[in-house]
Amino acid sequence: MSGLIRPLQLGLFELRRYLADRAALAFGIALPIALFALMYATFSGGDSFNGTVHVVDSDAGPVTADILSRLGETEGLSIEILDRDDAVAKLDRSEILSVAVFPSGFSRLAAAGERPTVMVMRRGSGGQEGQIATSLVRATAQQVTAEHVARSIVRKALEGGTVTDAQVDATVSRMLAMNAAEPPVGVERRILGGSDEFVDRMLPGILVMFLLFAVILASQSTIEDRRIGTLERLATTQLTLSQLFAGKFLAGLFRAGFQVLVLLSLAFAVLQVAGPGQYLQVLVFALLVSAAVSAIGLAIGALAVNQEQAIWASVVISMFMAVFGGTFFPTSQGALEILSRFTLNRYAIDAMDGMISGGESLVNQGPEAAVMAGFTVVGITIARVFFRTTPG
Amino acid sequence: MGDSEGNFLVARGLRKSFGDLQAVSDVSFEIAEREIFGLLGPNGAGKTTTIRILSTVLPPDGGEVTIGGHSIAAEQRRVREMIGVCPQELALYPELSAIDNLVFFGRMAGLGGSEARRRAADVLEVVDLTARGRGRVQNFSGGMKRRINIAIALMAKPRLLFLDEPTVGIDPQSRNHILETVLGLRDEGMTVLFTTHYMDVADRLCDRIAVMDEGRLIAMGSPDELKAGIGDPATVTLEEVFLGLTGRSLRD
Repeated sequence: MSGLIRPLQLGLFELRRYLADRAALAFGIALPIALFALMYATFSGGDSFNGTVHVVDSDAGPVTADILSRLGETEGLSIEILDRDDAVAKLDRSEILSVAVFPSGFSRLAAAGERPTVMVMRRGSGGQEGQIATSLVRATAQQVTAEHVARSIVRKALEGGTVTDAQVDATVSRMLAMNAAEPPVGVERRILGGSDEFVDRMLPGILVMFLLFAVILASQSTIEDRRIGTLERLATTQLTLSQLFAGKFLAGLFRAGFQVLVLLSLAFAVLQVAGPGQYLQVLVFALLVSAAVSAIGLAIGALAVNQEQAIWASVVISMFMAVFGGTFFPTSQGALEILSRFTLNRYAIDAMDGMISGGESLVNQGPEAAVMAGFTVVGITIARVFFRTTPG
Repeated sequence: MGDSEGNFLVARGLRKSFGDLQAVSDVSFEIAEREIFGLLGPNGAGKTTTIRILSTVLPPDGGEVTIGGHSIAAEQRRVREMIGVCPQELALYPELSAIDNLVFFGRMAGLGGSEARRRAADVLEVVDLTARGRGRVQNFSGGMKRRINIAIALMAKPRLLFLDEPTVGIDPQSRNHILETVLGLRDEGMTVLFTTHYMDVADRLCDRIAVMDEGRLIAMGSPDELKAGIGDPATVTLEEVFLGLTGRSLRD
């Protein structure tokens, strides 16, 4: 047990050096956060239309208010209320391409059971966004107006009877609520080609990619320590060569582990992608990935003669794994699928994605964990054989 | 603690090669306790390789070394308790403070936490850097970094100190301070093995000098004995001796 204390001290000391290095922190922590935010904003959003509906409300009545309220509940849609002159001026300047005008008396006509008209002013075709927005306004206005007209017709039919207006409103409202809770028409999605899970895979994908970039840091650290003589100096202390080697491995593990802890905690806290149980299981698996990454970095550092060799080898290996491991695009078919089998990323992303969005547990990740262990063992073996404390 | 003749370090028939290059070839010498022993030679002579063998970093291909009566091959751990190594490079972590560097290497040398901190304060005083202990090493001058490099080697209170080119690239004041420090350490009982390219430094500091070239020891003796080999010690310089022994052709 006492033989582990010095490697542990060495590993923690290296972590402290890492935390004192602002450039390394910016690359390892800040950059992945920024990249993930960018990719998430670009590729996420599901099926909803994101756009703005421009409205002139000359009516200012209850039916129009209902329509605008219902439109406001539509995911991804925002409403901008304009006065008529302002809307016309903006259309003239092409600042907006379409506007829906609810004329004065719209609500009164709907309440009377008559057919009101919403006017759409547009510049040219109204643009794709304008056309979709207009369709949404038309559909919502028809639905809401139909509800009001229905109320009006029912009230008229029951006029003079014992049923009150309030009872009519309550019955219609209940029917609408039931309809909203269980729509009469369901929608089933079938994905033919491609995958809509890509966004789900972004979090583990970016995490693993930046963990792999830690390979560069780990290999450079070994080369630099050898060049400036700190490894040689440590070799004259009470550390045995095996303890020194173990300390360097732990250093890489701690650095990558710190990255994992910060990035995963942040992702789970902000995006709330899964619960605390899943978080802990993903964290444990990510630490296995960290061990593999540390071993690969140490192996490159042991084999490389100088910084240039170490950097090139690290960049080529980590980029190959990131690109063909499914970080940027799906690699589930053809030659890409075959290439992806040689990457650490594929297995790491599969396992973490399974736990984050597939509801799987850590015990289901046996094969993927075995791959991580395999990378670790091979990396450590190569590194130990070629590990040396002096240059040349 | 040394052998029966009072030698603290005894090296016999040391050999080391890297591929076809014979870096150290049949090198034998002794260093007495409390002696400052200079190892001189042109670039590539084998000085650093010799120090790496003596300090247990590199295993020799042949030969034997005892330090304080302990074999470096069989009793490596015991030997390491007695030595301090100051490599030619600035082997320290520039982004951390002087104290952090000292405490870390002290811990790795086997000191406990509080003991390492106490010892760090002591060695900072030895190298006259107490006031800069909390400063980041990357902000230090070249001379200060050299002094911290030596201070690290002193952390575990070594009995034998290896100094590989400790005064290279620094101003005369810093160099003088380092030499005074080394003399002070010897007076306190430390044995020192010293390599340098500065002949005046070797002349001033060393009790005995060994000259190496192409992996072999080609001369050994006190500075005056070496000078006497080519003329009057009062007028001959050590540099003349050195050039006479190793030639005037350039070495890479």
